[in-house]
Amino acid sequence: MAATRRLQKELNDIRQSGLKSFRDIQVDESNILTWQGLIVPDNPPYNKGAFRIEINFPAEYPFKPPKISFKTKIYHPNIDEKGQVCLPIISAENWKPATKTDQVIQALVALVNDPEPEHPLRAELAEEFLKDRKKFTKNAEEFTKKHSEKRPTD
Amino acid sequence: MSQRPKCQISDDVLVLECDFLAAHSKTINIPALTTPISLSTYHQLSLTVESANIKNSGLFKPNPYLQVIIDDKISRRTEVIKSTLHPKWKEDLTVLVTPQSQLLFRLADYHSFRKDNVIGEKRVNLLKVLLYCNGKCDNVELIIDLMKTVSQENSASVSGEVKAAELVVLLDGLRVDPSVLSQSRELLGESANSTGPLNDGVRARIRIRNNESAMRSIVRSQNLRPPPGPPPLSNGSLQHGGPSGTSGVSGPMSSSLAGGAGAPAESGAGPSHAEAEPTGAGLPVVYANPAEEPLPAGWEMRYDVYGRRYYVDHNTRSTSWERPQPLPPGWEVRRDARGRVYYVDHNTRTTTWQRPDTERLARFQHWRGERRHVVAQGNQRFLYPHPQPPHQPDSDHDANATVYYVNHKNRTTQWEDPRTQGQEMSALEEALPPGWEIRFTEEGTRYFVDHNTRTTTFQDPRPGAPKGPQGAYGVPRAYERSFRWKLSQFRYLCQSNALPSHIKITLSRQSLFEDSYHQIMRLPAYELRRRLYIIFRGEEGLDYGGVSREWFFLLSHEVLNPMYCLFEYANKNNYSLQINPASYVNPDHLLYFKFIGRFIAMALYHGRFIYSGFTMPFYKRMLNKKLTMKDIESIDPEFYNSLVWIKDNNIDECGLEMWFSVDFEVLGQVIHHELKPSGDKERVTETNKEQYLQLVTQWRMTRGIEEQTSAFLDGFNEVVPLEWLKYFDERELELMLCGMQEVDVDDWQRNTIYRHYTRTSKQVLWFWQFVRQMDNEKRARLLQFVTGTCRVPVGGFAELMGSNGPQRFCIEKVGKDTWLPRSHTCFNRLDLPPYKSYEQLCEKLNFAIEETEGFGQE
Repeated sequence: MAATRRLQKELNDIRQSGLKSFRDIQVDESNILTWQGLIVPDNPPYNKGAFRIEINFPAEYPFKPPKISFKTKIYHPNIDEKGQVCLPIISAENWKPATKTDQVIQALVALVNDPEPEHPLRAELAEEFLKDRKKFTKNAEEFTKKHSEKRPTD
Repeated sequence: MSQRPKCQISDDVLVLECDFLAAHSKTINIPALTTPISLSTYHQLSLTVESANIKNSGLFKPNPYLQVIIDDKISRRTEVIKSTLHPKWKEDLTVLVTPQSQLLFRLADYHSFRKDNVIGEKRVNLLKVLLYCNGKCDNVELIIDLMKTVSQENSASVSGEVKAAELVVLLDGLRVDPSVLSQSRELLGESANSTGPLNDGVRARIRIRNNESAMRSIVRSQNLRPPPGPPPLSNGSLQHGGPSGTSGVSGPMSSSLAGGAGAPAESGAGPSHAEAEPTGAGLPVVYANPAEEPLPAGWEMRYDVYGRRYYVDHNTRSTSWERPQPLPPGWEVRRDARGRVYYVDHNTRTTTWQRPDTERLARFQHWRGERRHVVAQGNQRFLYPHPQPPHQPDSDHDANATVYYVNHKNRTTQWEDPRTQGQEMSALEEALPPGWEIRFTEEGTRYFVDHNTRTTTFQDPRPGAPKGPQGAYGVPRAYERSFRWKLSQFRYLCQSNALPSHIKITLSRQSLFEDSYHQIMRLPAYELRRRLYIIFRGEEGLDYGGVSREWFFLLSHEVLNPMYCLFEYANKNNYSLQINPASYVNPDHLLYFKFIGRFIAMALYHGRFIYSGFTMPFYKRMLNKKLTMKDIESIDPEFYNSLVWIKDNNIDECGLEMWFSVDFEVLGQVIHHELKPSGDKERVTETNKEQYLQLVTQWRMTRGIEEQTSAFLDGFNEVVPLEWLKYFDERELELMLCGMQEVDVDDWQRNTIYRHYTRTSKQVLWFWQFVRQMDNEKRARLLQFVTGTCRVPVGGFAELMGSNGPQRFCIEKVGKDTWLPRSHTCFNRLDLPPYKSYEQLCEKLNFAIEETEGFGQE
């Protein structure tokens, strides 16, 4: 497979670099086009939990960008109820075949830590985020407590 | 449940006889197919005629056959079995019924030279059967007494009817919602609890199979034939590996998978399907969605030895890692005689090979929505600024007294003067000076006669006429095409190869695709050059051209039906058509592509238009032109952008990890391709990337559609030799096929946006001045240059689409005045440099839109 070698290399690099904010990377040896892992944000209100994401690479990778979805529910203006996320680095206009998955993950972690209410997927959360930050933080914290996964202890 | 069910063995199956079906429905668990909607909707019923016992009543044994007549309309019959009183047919008849259909079973004796003799008959009310079995006609056996009316003279004493035979039939595959049925009880005037015997002479019981396994009952559905809907035409002789065929890895289910590399392989195709295990590559642990919907009928969830969850589809005997989406309401999965899975949509009474998903249904809805515009659109297309001439071979003047020409030899009419072959002057052209005349040489070259001096010249004497090597727009002659001239040459070729008389094509509107397919493929290709005479069944009317125009338009829209899987839109926002690489799920697809090739050639040959055009790269392929990287932009902008990035950047330092091999995905199956021998072992570097880009471009434009394209071109070439097209370019080919539309320049200007220009910039004003001075053909060409097609959306320029949704026509200030204009078809954008004068703008724009090799675009 054409994408396999590239993804194998990227995966090894990511595992070796030991990203703090992306852990528990699970990839089935027989299907390297799908990755799962835990996003571990540093900033409140998300720093009390971890969020599982799935990265799906198309067969035409790296001609086409990967797609990311959240498997864990999250209260976030840029991530919708279905777990879809709008990340500029992997949009059709910005995608470059040289973009590496670790850059994509870092961009995602940055977005989770610092929401961008000016490009919301959930307008009502963006509004709350801008107008009533206290309420937003409280809701997001409760939501995180209820739905998120445990953070790795090490 | 007052009675215990009695059991007996017959025909390898366990027969469970019971009078109360309520009891029965608790004991077996047959997966529901679909839930139909009302008493008058049509459903498919599988009716197996098993056997009969005929009472001996004469010297000779009869040659019995059974006829089934549904609602006194549709009649089906079994084969004749010779000389027996105990015929055994075991024949499956698949019929369309409503829950209240009347089924008349008529057993007859076949005679080769006189009228067949009725042995006995019985009318059965399906509703009663359904009520009896609580709405579930799953393997219901009916034993029917067939009665014969005895003529009065023989036995005046008896009632007039005697039992002549006993018939055994099996009904299967029909399910009706009991709630719908409950209304009908009132219709029949029966109490809601009446599930007793049906009526005199009809006994029903439910058979279950030896194996209590519910799956067995589905295996039976193999016997159901696909309905005569277009996709599963059964007369084709080609057999291709469909999703459940030789292609192995993919299943119909995986069609909706995104990263289907791990789509599990099918289990063996043998009858012992129940032990299907995923043998393909695995996926990582699947996280269960807590709010899962129940699985569709016939599906089961299992865990493999690693504890991974997977899904078994007993309907198709395949497995999938992905949880199946339930079929939409009114849909049903079936299997044809060759064991291939297909899907029935009872809502529209159509069938398709691909499992319907939300996206596919949305596309189908879109396609259906277009249908109401199709004919209206057809009447707006033209190639010259005239409507089609009337086809009345006996009159030389139509109502408006416009002159046209009649060819009595082949009984055709045309607007063009045959002596000038369409080169007559446009009315807008300036008049000649007094005493001058235009004539044409035998070769069709125009020359001018000056009667004042009795001289002739090729030079146009009018003052505004172009002189010397310059063309009409100040463009060098070498770059000026004459579309009209080429078209007249093409018409001339067609006319001189025409055959006398006509061919009749008779069709029904309900089965337009299928009827057209049969009639066009049945004829030798050259016959299709005769004048066409199209008849829609049940519609009186002579085809003087209008009917065949409608046929071309309707059928060309029909072949795009997404449910046929033959063509697809180039992408979400480019409504031009390309061959669908997944078309191989349709087992007869190559025959269909050949048919469509013939049909498209007929459109050109007979000068008719089709509804929707193909992509520019497809036309280039028809013209045998080399495809360039730029051609990818209009069909796959993402892919194109990546290629451009590779071309423009030094790739040695950025770890692309690319080799001379590529992958793509069709129906969840990843297809690997080496771009050259041992391409898997050759790394792409800065030094060899040119070659790589070239090979990838070639591959991208042909992947998965090679066979289909050749079949199309074969069919085309049989009717119109591709050679005849060689003087045209791809944009002219689109114009010929789709015709032109009157372009509403006001609407165009109103819906245009500007970047770095304003509405009143002088270049913008010049641009619109230029557009208003053009004729329709030129406008179409300008549109092709900027938007990729000459067609304007039905709703006008406001509905123009780009690769990110609605995208208006855009003019952007780019570059210097020495540059040529460029275009970005996926954004409908024209890069117009700030030219210094109107003349310069005209010259550069003309140059760019006349040039077809794409460097004007690059």
